[in-house]
Amino acid sequence: MSSTATSPPSADKVDGFSRKSVRKAKQKRSQSSSQFRSQGKPIELTPLPLLKDVPGAEQPELFLQKLQQCCTLFDFMDTLSDLKMKEYKRSTLNELVDYVTVSRGYLTEQAYPEVVKMVSYNIFRTLPPSDSNEFDPEEDEPTLEASWPHLQLVYEFFIRFLESQEFQPSIAKKYIDQKFVLQLLELFDSEDPRERDYLKTVLHRIYGKFLGLRAFIRKQINNIFLRFVYETEHFNGVAELLEILGSIINGFALPLKAEHKQFLVKVLIPLHTVRSLSLFHAQLAYCIVQFLEKDPVLTEPVIRGLLKFWPKTCSQKEVMFLGELEEILDVIEPTQFVKIQELLFKQISRCVSSPHFQVAERTLYYWNNEYIMSLIEENSSVILPIMFASLYRISKEHWNPAIVALVYNVLKAFMEMNSVLFDELTATYKSDRQREKKKEKEREELWKMLEDLELKKGLQNDGIIPT
Amino acid sequence: MEAFKLMRELKTNFEQESIYLPREKGLDLLETTLENDKQISARCRDAKVEDLWSLTSFFGYSTQTFVQAVNLLDRFLAMMKIQPKHLSCIAISCLHIAAKLVEEECNISSSHDLIRISQCKFTISDLNRMEKIISEKLNFQCKAITAFTFLQLYHEMTILHTSERKTSLSLDKLEAQLKACLCRIVFSKAKPSVLALSLLAQEIEAIQSVDMLEISQCIQRHLKIADGELFYWRELVAKCMTDYSSPECSKPDNKKLVWILSRRTAQNLHSSYYSVPELPTIPEGGWDESGSEDSCEDMSCGEDSLSSGEDSLSSDTEAACAPPHFHQRISAPHSQGDSARLGAQCHF
Repeated sequence: MSSTATSPPSADKVDGFSRKSVRKAKQKRSQSSSQFRSQGKPIELTPLPLLKDVPGAEQPELFLQKLQQCCTLFDFMDTLSDLKMKEYKRSTLNELVDYVTVSRGYLTEQAYPEVVKMVSYNIFRTLPPSDSNEFDPEEDEPTLEASWPHLQLVYEFFIRFLESQEFQPSIAKKYIDQKFVLQLLELFDSEDPRERDYLKTVLHRIYGKFLGLRAFIRKQINNIFLRFVYETEHFNGVAELLEILGSIINGFALPLKAEHKQFLVKVLIPLHTVRSLSLFHAQLAYCIVQFLEKDPVLTEPVIRGLLKFWPKTCSQKEVMFLGELEEILDVIEPTQFVKIQELLFKQISRCVSSPHFQVAERTLYYWNNEYIMSLIEENSSVILPIMFASLYRISKEHWNPAIVALVYNVLKAFMEMNSVLFDELTATYKSDRQREKKKEKEREELWKMLEDLELKKGLQNDGIIPT
Repeated sequence: MEAFKLMRELKTNFEQESIYLPREKGLDLLETTLENDKQISARCRDAKVEDLWSLTSFFGYSTQTFVQAVNLLDRFLAMMKIQPKHLSCIAISCLHIAAKLVEEECNISSSHDLIRISQCKFTISDLNRMEKIISEKLNFQCKAITAFTFLQLYHEMTILHTSERKTSLSLDKLEAQLKACLCRIVFSKAKPSVLALSLLAQEIEAIQSVDMLEISQCIQRHLKIADGELFYWRELVAKCMTDYSSPECSKPDNKKLVWILSRRTAQNLHSSYYSVPELPTIPEGGWDESGSEDSCEDMSCGEDSLSSGEDSLSSDTEAACAPPHFHQRISAPHSQGDSARLGAQCHF
């Protein structure tokens, strides 16, 4: 930074904004310290011949050389520097992508460490800090990665490499080890959604091919989630990790291992409590439902967990929970339903009476779901008494006419399901209400009597009424 | 002299009840009509009456309102040829008229609410016009003497004269049963006094009170109701009650009901789960996920398993790792002393 001249105080500085601070504010905020990789002098790379122009025998060697060249990094913050060389690297990377996709016999043992080295150099970096302290993933625009022109190709290349027919995990595992995976996982915190999307694919392939790393990966993901839930509530890659987990859960062997059940209860359920749930709720719900399809016995702990963490002050979250709950009910087994129905419908009864119309509406719409209706029908003698009071009450008291109309649908459904019970409950409700009204009236009359008494006494004291 | 008053009221009502009976021929016609676009069938009427019951219950109207409404409906249907598309309007009009007759002003819901909740397609002016037409056709004799009237009287009389606990005969229960009966057109042909007595007798038989049985027989004699007539209706009532209390529920026909949702909620429906693009499933291997073993290719019990932090050597790896000379020792012939030492060495 060039030194600022200490200029004598002038009219400009009277308001406190020195020229130095003004100049600083005009500069573009740099992305991160690690992005400053420029060596200060322009980078020179000797152009190599194209792979297709070289005889087959020489290609592997040339391949390695190109990989080596791609280890050179460029500063993309400075948009004007090294343009020619940046373009050269980009076209080399492009060439490598094609080469890996179509070639045969190119993958020698020596290639593996070089590939991993090139990828590591390019992608492993300290992620830039957020533009603002309060980066709200739901609202703000993410800061995109400046070196994406190169980075994208590196990711593309790596994925093709992993998916290549010649790829041998037994050789690769020496270089793609736990340290590599750990650094990879850290990158999931990138703000750039494109990068996270590639990372998702990369990790998915690695998990698929490297059986020895699976337990480690799962453990590290656990750590990330737990840290996210209980310490920082900040991590940008939750949705992508959950997507990968979805495909893993889908492939679980039965009977489910205890480790996986622990994961469900200790990690996935608490994930629901996070404030930024809307960013990854779809993927989370998917994981949960996959678990339940694998082992229906888990339904009870899952629903109990959801009910325990039911949102009390955030209606938007409540609507999400209701959506997830409906998806769970779509796949629930009748025997499991019976176990949690009382607890469940107590909560549903509360939701139905919610003054937030979206919550009430979403809940009432459950009655349009055929499968849920069939479950309710079978157990109407238990469910109807729980729901009755709140349904009847909001039919009279809710402020939103659309909700009242929906309640009618629900009451009608109940009426047709179990007339006898419905009539009994109506009669009880009515008599309860009448009793309440009577008490209310008696209380009012008592007060009035007391008032009259007071008044009379007062008038007597004042001598207006003779005693 | 409560009893005397009741008896006199009973007699008066009994004499006048036939004025309010729907024309029997009209009801017969309804019963025999097959369902089609031009004419109303008995099933149509029954379904409509059930809807009326839902609305009554929903708006908190009394049973008397419901019974009056059904009476108006039946009388009107029995004398006029109605097109099915008008049935909703007629039914709601009857309910509205009945509500105005029976309920307190503050409890009557507006026409607007009636139409909105019942999800009907006609307008308020349609409703008003229909109400006028119905009133005219029925010669403005709207407030009828119904089975409910009698039921209340019978109940009061029974309670008055019985030595049993007052609460054993529940009017609420009788009301509910009456409601169930009225949902079938056949019971509209019964004289209200007889229908009410059938219900009463039925219930008394259920609670098995000799005392009350005598009272009901007394009422029957007083009103000169024939045994045969009573028996006939009691059978029908019994059958209806069996259906009503059967655990089999009639499947709610949700298709008829319209579920109107706000735009925001409709957008969010099913937007979560099904929109998740699926990565290809990764099947879990049987032998790779236990965590205590790592690589599958070589059974090297080295740093790999230890570094994952799990409990280290499983029995498999132990065998693989056992030093070669150990195996030799086991296979060699040994003496007693040796085996003891071997035995000691076998413990890990």
